[in-house]
Amino acid sequence: MKTLTSLLYILALPVLLILWWILATAGGASFFVPTPADLVKTFIDTWIGERMFTDVLPSIRRLLIGVVGAIILGVLLGLLVGLNRTARAITEPVFEFFRALPPPVLIPVLMLLVGINDGMKVAVIISGAIWPVLLNTIEGVRAIDPVQNETSRSYGISGFARIRYQILPSAMPTIMAGIRQCLSVGLILMVISEMFASSSGLGFAIVQFQRSFAVPEMWSGIVVLGLIGVIMSFIFQWIERRVLRWYNGLKEVENAV
Amino acid sequence: MLSNSNGTTGGRTLPEGEALLSVRGLKKVYHTDGGDIEAVRDLTFDLGRGELVCLVGPSGSGKTTLLKCIAGLLGATSGEVLLDGEKVTGPPKKMAVVFQEYGRSLFPWLRVADNVELPLKNAGVPKAERKKLVEEALDAVGLSHVPRSYPWQLSGGMQQRVAIARAVAYEPEVLLMDEPFAAVDAQTRADLEDLIRNVWKKLGVTVLFVTHDIDESIYLGERVIILSSSPTVVQEDIVIDLPAERDQLETRSLPRFTELRHHVYAEIQKAKQGHRPEEAKTTFLTNPK
Repeated sequence: MKTLTSLLYILALPVLLILWWILATAGGASFFVPTPADLVKTFIDTWIGERMFTDVLPSIRRLLIGVVGAIILGVLLGLLVGLNRTARAITEPVFEFFRALPPPVLIPVLMLLVGINDGMKVAVIISGAIWPVLLNTIEGVRAIDPVQNETSRSYGISGFARIRYQILPSAMPTIMAGIRQCLSVGLILMVISEMFASSSGLGFAIVQFQRSFAVPEMWSGIVVLGLIGVIMSFIFQWIERRVLRWYNGLKEVENAV
Repeated sequence: MLSNSNGTTGGRTLPEGEALLSVRGLKKVYHTDGGDIEAVRDLTFDLGRGELVCLVGPSGSGKTTLLKCIAGLLGATSGEVLLDGEKVTGPPKKMAVVFQEYGRSLFPWLRVADNVELPLKNAGVPKAERKKLVEEALDAVGLSHVPRSYPWQLSGGMQQRVAIARAVAYEPEVLLMDEPFAAVDAQTRADLEDLIRNVWKKLGVTVLFVTHDIDESIYLGERVIILSSSPTVVQEDIVIDLPAERDQLETRSLPRFTELRHHVYAEIQKAKQGHRPEEAKTTFLTNPK
């Protein structure tokens, strides 16, 4: 019953929107907005087939490499910086500067430095998606409870063991919030990185459709992007619930008091 | 027998080689932007193996500072702490600390048994041995029924029991406790006091228990060290000659308990008014019986 109710909640608004869309396009669709039936047909024709392997999967692969790379680099660097007061003082202003740069402006530079290839696109994704993870890791590590630190010290828990058993778990709620942002930034940059000097990928395909006035195809590409975002977000939430089970429980107890 | 040969202000010292824990001329000054703050001026006392000693003093008398220096968590400005004859420079393997803030000292991402196990795992104790130690420790504090719970699912008193179990499982020679029951309610506190007495008797561990509660210090301790107000020295070091079997109702209603309580209370009042001990003294209060 409970799952049924929550399923109803999830589906209610999409169903309403689609109904509205069907009604609005019932009297004949405009050139720029296809009917739902058209879009479904175009979606299947366009994406279920060769394009799945030439555009969709390569894009997803680059996105995954970029996002996982950003998370690993961000957490490692964040630990290094967060654990060292001097490092923090030296790097923070610089980080703020780089974070303020919109990653797309780096694309021409990266094309020259890395070359026009997958590496460049992954580099663009990492260069933008790393910041929320990095800065949140620094913040999470910095905000560690001094009593926890003293506990670790008095029991001789130091070095790698301390990072593994105390610091990472303790900073995990903040890190996860950074990863959530990292995913959405990553998706945006995946598309943008494929709009320059590219010959495949979702971003490339969508721009291609726009330029050739293949309007339903363009819309279907946008739907693919939306679906990727939704699936990523579900996977993330599933992982987050498991990783932060203790944290959510703790918050519930604290709020109940 | 009770000598204080070094001539400085202080509590009871033992002949060389007999003390498990020695504090010698300990001084701690905090350097702050607003100037230096002398938290602890000159502390000297010894703990013999297997003693249960309570440190009591007015608030702000540097009790926590002293405990942290002994635990190797803070460096002393001068003087030294010796454990088994070795100078303490960092947290020693033979010590365990129970903090006042049990909610922050336990790791909320670990279940109860995992919290107790972590220091052992870190010390490289083999798995079977770890399991046994964790079970015994949880059993000793009466928590063998909740190993799979998270600390935050338990009441405050139970959380502090977990912290005690963690310390006990670590098999320390010295157990340091920093006002461990200050944040639990009165009934729980009475239970926990009896728990500490039991653990102490059963394991033969040496306990240094810091508290601001006079009754608690007398009920628990075999000996009470009274600290002066800041900058701290030892005001008095008294032996608690109450029967070894203590009972919350019986012991606390003994005339002797009341006498000791009066005495310690008066000393603390004096300490608060700025009275400083003139010379070292260890007192056996004359028992009028």
